[in-house]
Amino acid sequence: MYTLPSKLKLFSIIIMVLGLAGITYGFLTAPKTIEDVKEIMAEQDAHHGGEHAVEAHGEEEHTANFVDVARGEEGYSEAAMEHATDLKPEGHGSASHEEHVLHQLQTRPWSATFVAAFFFLMIALGVLVFYAIQYASQAGWSPVLYRIMEGITTYLLPGSIIVFLIVVFAGTHFFPWQNEELVAGDKILQGKSGYLNFPFFVIRAVIYLLGWNLYRHFSRKNSLAQADANNYDPYRKNFKLSVFFLIFFIVTEATMSWDWFMSMTPHWYSTLFPWYVFASMFVSAITVIALVTIYLKSRGLIPFVSDKHLHDLAKYMFAFSIFWTYLWFSQFMLIWYANIPEEVTYFIIRIQEYKLLFFGMLILNFVFPILVLMNSDYKRVPWFVVIAAVFILVGHYVDIFLLVMPSTVGHNWYFGIPEIAALLFFMGLFIFVVGTGLGKVSLRPKNDPFIKESENYHF
Amino acid sequence: MASKKIHAIYTDDDLLMQAVKQTRAANYHISEVFTPFPVHGLDHAVGLAPTRIAITSFLYGLTGLSVAVLMLNYIMIEDWPQNIGGKPSFTFYQNMPAFIPVMFELTVFFAAHLMVITFYMRSKLWPFKKAENPDLRTTDDHFLMEVDAENHDVEKLTKFLYDTGASEISLIENEQDH
Amino acid sequence: MSSHYEAPIREPLVLGEKSYHDISVDVGAPVLGKANKSWWIVFTIALIAFLWGLGCIIYTVSTGIGVWGLNKTIGWAWDITNFVWWVGIGHAGTLISAVLLLFRQKWRMAVNRSAEAMTIFAVVQAGLFPIIHMGRPWLAYWVLPIPNQFGSLWVNFNSPLLWDVFAISTYLSVSLVFWWTGLLPDFAMIRDRTTSPFQKKIYGILSFGWSGRVKDWQRFEEVSLVLAGLATPLVLSVHTIVSFDFATSVVPGWHSTIYPPYFVAGAIFSGFAMVQTLLIIMRKVSNLEAYITILHIEYMNKVILLTGGIVTTAYIIEYFIAWYSGVPYENYAYLSFGAATGPYWWAFWALIICNLIVPLTLWVKKLRRNIVWTFIVALIINIGMWFERFDIIVIDLSKDRLTSSWTMFQPTFVDIGTFMGTIGFFFVLFLLYARTFPVIAQAEVKTILKSSGESFKKLRAVHGDDHSHVQTVEPYPADAGPSANVEDKNFDSSFNDLDEETENNQVDYEANRGKIDNLLSGIGTFDPATQTQDDLKKISGVGPVMEQKLHQLGIFTFEQVSRMTDREYDLLDEIISEFPGRAKRDDWAGQALILKNKN
Repeated sequence: MYTLPSKLKLFSIIIMVLGLAGITYGFLTAPKTIEDVKEIMAEQDAHHGGEHAVEAHGEEEHTANFVDVARGEEGYSEAAMEHATDLKPEGHGSASHEEHVLHQLQTRPWSATFVAAFFFLMIALGVLVFYAIQYASQAGWSPVLYRIMEGITTYLLPGSIIVFLIVVFAGTHFFPWQNEELVAGDKILQGKSGYLNFPFFVIRAVIYLLGWNLYRHFSRKNSLAQADANNYDPYRKNFKLSVFFLIFFIVTEATMSWDWFMSMTPHWYSTLFPWYVFASMFVSAITVIALVTIYLKSRGLIPFVSDKHLHDLAKYMFAFSIFWTYLWFSQFMLIWYANIPEEVTYFIIRIQEYKLLFFGMLILNFVFPILVLMNSDYKRVPWFVVIAAVFILVGHYVDIFLLVMPSTVGHNWYFGIPEIAALLFFMGLFIFVVGTGLGKVSLRPKNDPFIKESENYHF
Repeated sequence: MASKKIHAIYTDDDLLMQAVKQTRAANYHISEVFTPFPVHGLDHAVGLAPTRIAITSFLYGLTGLSVAVLMLNYIMIEDWPQNIGGKPSFTFYQNMPAFIPVMFELTVFFAAHLMVITFYMRSKLWPFKKAENPDLRTTDDHFLMEVDAENHDVEKLTKFLYDTGASEISLIENEQDH
Repeated sequence: MSSHYEAPIREPLVLGEKSYHDISVDVGAPVLGKANKSWWIVFTIALIAFLWGLGCIIYTVSTGIGVWGLNKTIGWAWDITNFVWWVGIGHAGTLISAVLLLFRQKWRMAVNRSAEAMTIFAVVQAGLFPIIHMGRPWLAYWVLPIPNQFGSLWVNFNSPLLWDVFAISTYLSVSLVFWWTGLLPDFAMIRDRTTSPFQKKIYGILSFGWSGRVKDWQRFEEVSLVLAGLATPLVLSVHTIVSFDFATSVVPGWHSTIYPPYFVAGAIFSGFAMVQTLLIIMRKVSNLEAYITILHIEYMNKVILLTGGIVTTAYIIEYFIAWYSGVPYENYAYLSFGAATGPYWWAFWALIICNLIVPLTLWVKKLRRNIVWTFIVALIINIGMWFERFDIIVIDLSKDRLTSSWTMFQPTFVDIGTFMGTIGFFFVLFLLYARTFPVIAQAEVKTILKSSGESFKKLRAVHGDDHSHVQTVEPYPADAGPSANVEDKNFDSSFNDLDEETENNQVDYEANRGKIDNLLSGIGTFDPATQTQDDLKKISGVGPVMEQKLHQLGIFTFEQVSRMTDREYDLLDEIISEFPGRAKRDDWAGQALILKNKN
């Protein structure tokens, strides 16, 4: 039995409070009017001096030229950028530019909160999927980890509620297709309105979140019932439930990623997108399972988990890091290669405005995990796995950041108080909820049909 | 070189494992074991060092990757750059997305083939190589443990091996070393 | 030993009372025996199809590609469809051998050999099509980046078709090496069991002199693991690159980012269907039902359900995004309303019915475990996956961006003949393989026998998980060929052989008279009038030979054995000197006590 140590509890509460304060600060200090924006821009100019602005401009010119050269078309990339961002309120004059910046600056605290909120929700959701896969595939190695996974998925419910509130209330901050004026002047968006409309959007969000949480509720119930049962009925129920959940999930995950991410740039589409989001979710989730396992093991609470289980988790981290890279490359390369204007905008803005993050993420998510976890002996060394885990988690936070920020705040991004505060708040909440969730029952899933195989297994 | 060896035959893998452990505990030297299938943990029980063949594979893979990069850079960037479908061919990294597939394939090609060749050479496996298992049944269901008898009392050793569960024991003298 | 433990809830993977030796015999039988009539019939049909296809290929090459049904709009059709279909089929083999190895799935052991063989033969068929398509196949080496007489003109590394050259050749060669390495111990088994000097020579060469040293096995296992680790991304990359052939273009319906994972899932889907087709027949013909069980078939059906589910999701995503994109050209792509109602409606619906609807029946457990139905579904999926590629290529090309160039594709007899020919060639290769290769990785099956064999699972169920798994083997001489061993499990039929053997093993009754009396005084005598004798072979450690010896001593019942103590064990060892200490080590008395109480 695990109890959240009071120090850790205090720590999580403190960072939650700090985070909440930071988030509030972010919302309160967001500019309210165009006058504020002008002030900010003037201040920025004064601060950095004209030189910097010129330099920045020159930089942009350079990358723009790069795209133009590649395409053999003068001024193409600028047009493309225009296209990418003109989904925001109309107009091309200087006044509307400021309006545009105002909108993006007002969006920033929303985006910052959403990135962190979704990041932790997707960890809980990914763990839930991993858990369902273990049941559905009748895995023999992992039952010793069932209680740990269930503990992490405790976060699913609070996480879902917060994310639901954000996506419903973010409105045009995130989803330009909710701007009726814009849709009225845009034929393509009118064509999509059968899917992209607010009531249907809310209904869908309710369906996914309800479905996922129901599975979590009933699977946990059955899993606990199995511990006291003298037959395998609860286990068999869970097996069936898991299969149906996975079918439900593979569909709802796709629509979820279209709704909450792809529709931030409603003209842009990529068929691979949902699976790309899934890869990020899954690898982060397995990483967190490994981290929690290492933590509990270090406190001596799970003697039945051996380094072989850690080895297996590390293998999954390794394999799914490669899988994520595979999907990243497939999506990137195909769009890069075909170079179709309405598609490349997605990458152009990410490469031009977020270059360091965009390519840095590849190093964090691919190169480091590969190098650290390649050797099979290192997969059994806890601190090695922890190092890889930190790389992976930071990398996938950046990945979610890059899904949201370029589409919502464009080049007006910065990693400042709102982002850090949101991260702190949700991390605190996650630690608090998961720590409490782990503590309710014995960590050893007694009576599971595969528990002995899991404890004894060798390879 | 004259040498004295005892071949003890077992008919079960669990029995063999137990025998190997007992024999080593009794300070006899096991010079070889022939088994019809990989017995889990036997290499460890016999006291073999872990194999380093995976490391060679990693190095071969790096070689393959380097070969691919050098080849692609020479062919596509240096020797005869062309505008193909508008793909940037000025520098290697600009054109790199199109090179990744071939870089990957050559990495795997080198890592896999050179590792297997290394394995064949190290374990002396090639066509027309004569098999060296002393008893034909060791590819079927018998397990043969070869114990050095040079500096031991053969009688005692034989008795000891019987006690470990051997079903047949034979003394091999003056066998030529392979 | 608990290291053989496996959850009792799992069904056995090896049926019946199999020993290690039985596995050798069963796997060796098709190779060491003679082909039956049905083999020859099927082989002849396949050979005729192959020769017909060969004729078509020769006709194509000597006349020109114009004999195919291609036209200006549909410049790729039948040939590339077949290419992708065959490559896709190949994927299941690598999935089974590599991915399932990494996932430690024990059921792969029985099917991996044949699945890998299928992979190699399928990739050979696939490779034929681009080579024929070149028109001048003798110049096929021009696809390699070699310095040439035309100046510094290289192959184009920006082209996905060239990536294919690298991917397919790496895939074929690595699969071949993976397969062959796994075959070495099994060739060695056949080499050591055959009585024919010719076979001994051939399998001696094929087995590369495999001896089964512990160091060799250690390397063997490591090499298998690393190869599996390499082959897993490799197999993903192959169909990914095949999908790049289409997806890098700007053709509506082809340019879709989901293609790479979707093609891979589809490839595995079709590959497993082909594995089912082949193995359902092979297990019957080669009498391997104890190794390729209903459970194996069900597992493969589950993989079909999984990959089929992924493919279905991809179809839904494609269909949805085609609408969502708002691009009018997408209305005619292969998964669209336009395709469903257009001139190729039949191809569209063939795809939907064969790939989506029919496989849904496998959700029913009864159908999943029904061999006939599985076979039918597997055939239908094979057809459906052929149509998937046909639809992607022909439907998408038939209605491109210029309405003036819209047209239809009509295959010629040469197109069809070549395709039939590759199917014939594939079966020729597979049938030859089934007669000459050990079709089950017997060395690997032996490693899972104690954990997943039916008899051992029963043993654990009765005696507990920690009961000894030691198997007793009837002694047989080293030079005994298969003829001496094939039937030895059935003692009634080989009773005569056994008698000869027991003559040599006769207990010297007179010399040991005193000891025997002494022994029987401790454990009691057997009175045939009032008692029935027990089957002493049930005691682990007692084989038929030992049983006969015990009978000669006057020991017939479990009760007698159960009374044995150290004194009797020693006496027994003195009388029967071959196996000193065995009776005590195996705790015959304890075993007999349990057996006695069960009776």
